Amino acid sequence: MNGAQLKEHIERTWPGQASCRLDAEARVNEVTCEPGALAALCGDLFHERGLAFGGLVVEEGREDWQLRYVFYGARDSGWVHVRVTAPLAQSVFPSIAAQAKVFAADWHEREAEDLFGVHFEGHPRLGDFVLHDDVWQEDVQPMRRGFDAATAMNNRLPDADWRPRRVVHESGAFMMPVGPKFSGVTESVHFQLETVGEDVIRSWTRLFYKWRAVEKLAEGKPLEDALLLAERFAATTAFAHGLAFCQAIESIAGASVPARAQTLRVFLAELERLRQHAGAIQEICESTALVVATSQAGLLEEELLRVSGALAGHRYLFGLLAPGGLAADLPGDACRKALAQAAGAVARLDELEGELAISSSFLDRIEEVGVIFPRTAVAYSLVGPVARASNLARDLRRMQPYSRYDAFAFDVPVEEEGDGYARLRVLFAEARQSLRIMQQAAADLEAGEVRAAVTPRPGAALGWAEAPRGATLHWVRLDDAGRVARYRIVTPSFTNWHSFHLAAEKFAFQDFPIILSTFDLSAAENDR
Amino acid sequence: MKWVLSGIRTGIHTTAYPSAEERAAGVTPGLPVGTALGAEAAVLAGRCPTHALEERNGVVTVDYRRCVHCYRCRPALAWRSDYEWAGSGAGRGELSGPFLRSTHILVVDAGDCGACLNEVKQLNNPYYNMHRLGFFITPAPRHADVLLVVGPVTDHMRVPLKKIYDAMPTPKRVVAVGACALSGGVFAESFVCGKGASTLLPVDVEVPGNPPPPLAILHGLLVAVGRKPPATLASGSAG
Amino acid sequence: MLELIVAYFALLGIGILLSLAVPPARQAGVLAWTGCFAAAAAVAAGATALLAGYGFAQTLWTVPGVATLTLRIDALSAVFVLVTGLVLFPASIYAASELRGHGRSFNVLLLALYASIVLILIAGDALLFLLAWEVMSVLCYLLVVSGRHRENGAQVGSGYLLLAMGEAGTLAVALGFLLLALGAGSMEFDALRSAASGLAASARWSVFLLSFFGFGVKAGLVPVNTWLQRAYAAAPRAFAPVLAGATLNLGLYGILRVNADLLPAAYAETGLVALVVGAASALIGILYATIDNDLKAMLAHSSIENVGIVVAAAGAGMVFQAVHLPALAALAFIASLYHMVNHSLYKTLLFIGVGAVETQTATRDMDRLGGLIKVMPLAAAAFLVGALSIAGLPPFNGFVSEWLTLQTMLRAAELSSIGAKIVFALSGAALALTAALAVTCFVKVFAMSFLGMRRLEEERRAGEAPPAALAAMAILAVLCVGFGVLPTYVIGMLDPATVQAAGAAATQALVPPFFAPGAQLPPAFVAEFHDLGAQVGQGVLPGPGLVVLHRGGQANPVVFAMSTSYMLVVLAGLLGLTWVALRLWLTRERRLARGERWDGGLRRLLPEMTYTATGFSNPVRVIFDAIFRPTTVEDTRETVAEHFRNAIRREKERVHLVDRLVFGPARTATLAFSRALAAMHHGRINAYVTYAFLALLIVFAVLPTL
Repeated sequence: MNGAQLKEHIERTWPGQASCRLDAEARVNEVTCEPGALAALCGDLFHERGLAFGGLVVEEGREDWQLRYVFYGARDSGWVHVRVTAPLAQSVFPSIAAQAKVFAADWHEREAEDLFGVHFEGHPRLGDFVLHDDVWQEDVQPMRRGFDAATAMNNRLPDADWRPRRVVHESGAFMMPVGPKFSGVTESVHFQLETVGEDVIRSWTRLFYKWRAVEKLAEGKPLEDALLLAERFAATTAFAHGLAFCQAIESIAGASVPARAQTLRVFLAELERLRQHAGAIQEICESTALVVATSQAGLLEEELLRVSGALAGHRYLFGLLAPGGLAADLPGDACRKALAQAAGAVARLDELEGELAISSSFLDRIEEVGVIFPRTAVAYSLVGPVARASNLARDLRRMQPYSRYDAFAFDVPVEEEGDGYARLRVLFAEARQSLRIMQQAAADLEAGEVRAAVTPRPGAALGWAEAPRGATLHWVRLDDAGRVARYRIVTPSFTNWHSFHLAAEKFAFQDFPIILSTFDLSAAENDR
Repeated sequence: MKWVLSGIRTGIHTTAYPSAEERAAGVTPGLPVGTALGAEAAVLAGRCPTHALEERNGVVTVDYRRCVHCYRCRPALAWRSDYEWAGSGAGRGELSGPFLRSTHILVVDAGDCGACLNEVKQLNNPYYNMHRLGFFITPAPRHADVLLVVGPVTDHMRVPLKKIYDAMPTPKRVVAVGACALSGGVFAESFVCGKGASTLLPVDVEVPGNPPPPLAILHGLLVAVGRKPPATLASGSAG
Repeated sequence: MLELIVAYFALLGIGILLSLAVPPARQAGVLAWTGCFAAAAAVAAGATALLAGYGFAQTLWTVPGVATLTLRIDALSAVFVLVTGLVLFPASIYAASELRGHGRSFNVLLLALYASIVLILIAGDALLFLLAWEVMSVLCYLLVVSGRHRENGAQVGSGYLLLAMGEAGTLAVALGFLLLALGAGSMEFDALRSAASGLAASARWSVFLLSFFGFGVKAGLVPVNTWLQRAYAAAPRAFAPVLAGATLNLGLYGILRVNADLLPAAYAETGLVALVVGAASALIGILYATIDNDLKAMLAHSSIENVGIVVAAAGAGMVFQAVHLPALAALAFIASLYHMVNHSLYKTLLFIGVGAVETQTATRDMDRLGGLIKVMPLAAAAFLVGALSIAGLPPFNGFVSEWLTLQTMLRAAELSSIGAKIVFALSGAALALTAALAVTCFVKVFAMSFLGMRRLEEERRAGEAPPAALAAMAILAVLCVGFGVLPTYVIGMLDPATVQAAGAAATQALVPPFFAPGAQLPPAFVAEFHDLGAQVGQGVLPGPGLVVLHRGGQANPVVFAMSTSYMLVVLAGLLGLTWVALRLWLTRERRLARGERWDGGLRRLLPEMTYTATGFSNPVRVIFDAIFRPTTVEDTRETVAEHFRNAIRREKERVHLVDRLVFGPARTATLAFSRALAAMHHGRINAYVTYAFLALLIVFAVLPTL
């Protein structure tokens, strides 16, 4: 169903309760909906129309709450933004996770309740999500306009009796705590594995140990400083996040980025994807303790980091992006040199893949382990290699092409099994495709400017990118002074962490770190 | 068997550092060098988003603990392309004696963005191979000699970090890695972030950078055990 | 020595009379004093009989033309009387402290049980034996169901099962004795013994099977053990130690009396049957003990395991006896008797410990205990001694007897029949596996109950066990250590019994006289062991030496050797040296800092985040799934809106292997059969008349032919 058909369908099915405004060029359908019809409408879009749920943006207006549910489909369906409003005093909305069974919205609603105090009716698990109950009392609402950080921090009443919820009722069942400090070099995340012995019956993830309140911090900042935050909150995929932010700004300002900058942006984004995938492959090999493969993959990751550093001056590509294009030009020779080195790395990745495919002890540990079923991937709107390994062929570069991606030919590899090995195969295949794109980009580099002027003006827009871990959405609203008024980031890790517990269940403790490594999740990206 | 052959075929890639300088491209992002700029110094100092640049009498000085590699001060400021940046912190001296060639490091993520942690992870890859210098990562604080902290110390990680530090037996040293761990980095103004590890723990070695490359972290570890002298990059004073 | 026996019964009689007369407040004192003194008399009687070689035979009562009731004490009885006394002494102290809620009937029954136990042991003829056995069975039943509403609701059913199976066993035993008596013409053991050699093969097998499985009921052999785990778990705290420590041995006594003394094995096959049944009991017992979370039920299963080991060793002895290898038979019987003694000591200790825990915490579920070592350190220490002993760790007593048993199994090398060797090998492997599982089981028991975080509710005040329990446990703990560290003396003490059973003395073979200068040992052999210090203690300590070893032939002069005595010295020395070194050198400049336990950086480690006993034993559950065969009773998931999980409820049920394979089908078959027979009872008079007519026909037709 394309955008026009969607508009017609919505207005026909919910007359008087939902009205659409279609921006055909931007392929955005903005639906203004009554709270009463919200659950049914969202349920229809998600289940019946098969759109993906991108995220929930909550904004506190002067007098009302403005909630924006972002859905997206394939190219012609475009984006659907479902907007609901309610007076500030009346901050209750229906929970589409509970009432419309859009499970993908679950965590978005919990985050909104913790940070804004918006209540979602029917949701049974609100609270203790971002603000840990054993540190914060209820009703803190830090994202509200009137929030006074000093008072809040000095008057805290944590719950001294906080206990994790126990779900398993079996004699002898206990909870095995993992973290926040565990293993060797890992991010701070806490898991509770409920078990009666070796098999994990139920797994619970506690995130937001690394919550830095980036969305709050960005408010009031000028564009360049907000871009710093966008790059540095999840720096292993800094370029992708920075790109999504810049695209949001360019969309608000109506600026058009020069072709050379677009091509270079694609080149750099794919270089980052290649490097991040090499790192993910290294993590998977390390989790299975296959030392030589770990070293091989580690070599490749370091090489790609050095390639990035030599090309851009910073190993993680900080400081290259600017609203309107790139901050500085990259000479074509440097790009071609980087491309040659990347090609060598991919060739060795291919070799590594071949060697792993015949290592039965390695395969034993990741095949049929940590399975995400296709229906789960759809129900949770998973993104990235995790989704594509579970037969969900969603890639924003294909569905909603941005930058110059629609000028390049590439495949989106998809696997069906949804197990650890499928995810690994997707990583290897995507690395090859990244090289393919880089080769096309380097061959298609026309001379020209790399930066267009961007005058910030008030407005709001969604910027997006297919980061190495999956789709990321950056919603930016600029105020009259051209500063950031609201910055909402939906990250692929936030989306995928939601489903991780399902993959870990029914497997043994020893499989847990392996399953975790095959997901390539980042707590920094999730927590912001 | 094929793995053995594969490993042999790959050969040795390990860097010669610390015996010799590492000059490969892309091993370091570099850091700015304080310069005399005259009239423009004040303007330049104002452009730094984390107040790492200070102007005094027309000279720009760099507080390396705050530099986040935004590159706005380029090309006005010269850039150094080395990596031996680790300086001394509160100063309990180095861990010498038996720790000189065998040190166990506990890495704690107190809210980092992922880049510093990733650079620490690279220390175990064949290019750097910190095992040859006697550095090992341990998961338990009871076995750790050095606590390596990354991240600005978020509010939720304060209690765990303190517990981890208390669980380590003496003698112990703390190495703070990255701009966030030294000064809070770009997150310093956030109400749930600390301004670095020194707000909670005594920091013995400070490694600036955002993120510091693996060689800089390695230098920091060598400083912590006393095998290398700390660098005297100016931090807040005339550079 | 007859005086000691008379004193024993007299004291018990006085105790019973006093119990009937004295007010409830004094009952405990009566039980404690009379029980202890009586037990002391029993110990003295057993000791003098064994060490000084005194025996006696006494006719008790002659019923002309029917039977003569005789009392007799020989070496085999003396061993059991001694052990009974050693067990009843601390058990009486403990039982006296747990009398609250029991009333005077308990005292009377218990003291009467004491009398019946010793009466069985010193019975000189089958009739007195059976009479005392019946009295003992009924008393056991009454004691198990006493105090029923106060402690445990499951007691009634368990009591009936105990009685029913006990009676079935008694019936089998009686039949066995009758078969023996058929050829002898009298019921006296002497007569039975001399007539036994004339029995035919089928009669021998019948007697063996009837007595083995008949006494096996009391002992707890698979497949007739089904009553044991229920009854032991249901028995009141005051009685359980006696049940496990004293009455269990009666079954073993019966098996040994009939099959080692009265009717020595003539075919190796009978011994092999005993060996296999013993090994199987041991393995099944310990498997169920390892996965059980109830302290008392676990100890009951462990008793089955230990009885299995005793019987396996006895079976090996019977095999060696049948193939005319008396030295090895003596070795096997020493192992068997030693293990029986050890089991009595540490099992009583553990049951008292469990009783103390239950009194303080009101629960026996290991999953809900934890951290008790902080509130009851002395009881924990004594319990630890018991746990180490039953796990078979040196230098405690369990190690010696398990080691001797396994070494006996290895002696199968000297058998000639391949089949017997295979059976020995497999049984030995089963016993070795049992030993490993026993360690697992008791590590779990001690760790989950005493170590770790406290899982009990905050309100429950648990304190140190009362002094009576501590005293009882201390006595037994000292005995456990003593019997472990001085095996050479124990072997010497048990030897007269093995002479009776195996026809050869074990001491010469197992305990060479290193303390005597030169003697009958080859000088090179002596020199080799003197280099290891085997003569330390010469001239100071009595007895032959402190090393237990087995001498083989020319090719293999020393088959095995060990000395727990020296192990203790070395262990104490090493620990002491370590302590001194730590004190003097390593901690001189360093302070000792106490910190919190490391918990991954959590704000608070909660008790529900610690390993449970179920979790600890899960690998055993999984590996031996084919034996346990759990069935899923419940496996439900409750969710809100299909996505938010509220609860996952799972429950599994396990039916004991023996119940599943033997009693379940037997019950089903019996019920089916009786249902079929019930079809006969339809109420029609005509048919009943026909039945009577047919019965008469059969009688008139068949009777003349007999």
